[in-house]
Amino acid sequence: MAEFSWIARSPLEHALVVGACGARGTAAGVSLTEIRNFDLIQVMARRGKAAELAKAAETRFGVAAPGTPKAVRVADATLIWSGPDQFLVLCNGGKHAIEPLSQAFAQSGSLSDQSDARALISVSGEKARAILAKLSSLDLHPAAFPAGTAAATSVDHTSVNLWRGNDRPDGQAVFNLLVFATFAESLWHTMLDAAAEYGVDIRHSEELG
Amino acid sequence: MRIVCPFCGERELGEFTYLGDAKPARPAAGATENEVFDYVYLRDNVAGPMSEFWYHGGGCRAWLKIARNTLTHEISSVEPAAGVGARQVGA
Repeated sequence: MAEFSWIARSPLEHALVVGACGARGTAAGVSLTEIRNFDLIQVMARRGKAAELAKAAETRFGVAAPGTPKAVRVADATLIWSGPDQFLVLCNGGKHAIEPLSQAFAQSGSLSDQSDARALISVSGEKARAILAKLSSLDLHPAAFPAGTAAATSVDHTSVNLWRGNDRPDGQAVFNLLVFATFAESLWHTMLDAAAEYGVDIRHSEELG
Repeated sequence: MRIVCPFCGERELGEFTYLGDAKPARPAAGATENEVFDYVYLRDNVAGPMSEFWYHGGGCRAWLKIARNTLTHEISSVEPAAGVGARQVGA
């Protein structure tokens, strides 16, 4: 039998070119960072077990899982609302991988490992809201979409989980987009087109913001 | 047209898909052929208030039951449809 091993690759491996893109001359208005090598688990309540799932989540993470469109930070993970009675667990280093979580939610939830099924793109910078305004119909003004707000929505006809994380040290808002791996390249090009006029700083990282 | 999803808040129409009339109820197992035919094929062409199923596929993927006036597009109520189905199958 042939021996083989899987090599994890980013869905943006080809599309993402680190460096500057678009307008030059002034500081880049938008920073686009792809976050790689994260663990992502979808947790959904089984029928009639929503209350039990909420209790199990609180036991596991020490806080209530979001019951409304919010992203909740805990010490080593982010819990992102993704629909009624369901949420995503985002972390890195396998701290909340599928095996331990399966045990934690054995009685109440159904889990699905989405770690390599999604791409995670982080958008920040002075013009972050301006480029997202071109692509999304949501009101992302700080008054309507403060840090910690999440949304399951469509961007450029593509389903995304969008949430606002903690602000950057310089006070700029950070928007995170989780997109299906096979749609990531298409969305990436659309975002680059939208951001080009402001100048873009492109990176990838393994640090969850 | 905008729909206020009970889970996500107000969203644009493009995030939703229309299924159709929420009124027809599945006939009992011993129903006549006419009743089944009516349930599967016959629909009212409502001009005015109508109860409809919509799917928030571009968002939280929840099925919704919406009361909409087909003449004015005014939406008077939006509620999750999941409970309706769950009750029907006795879960």
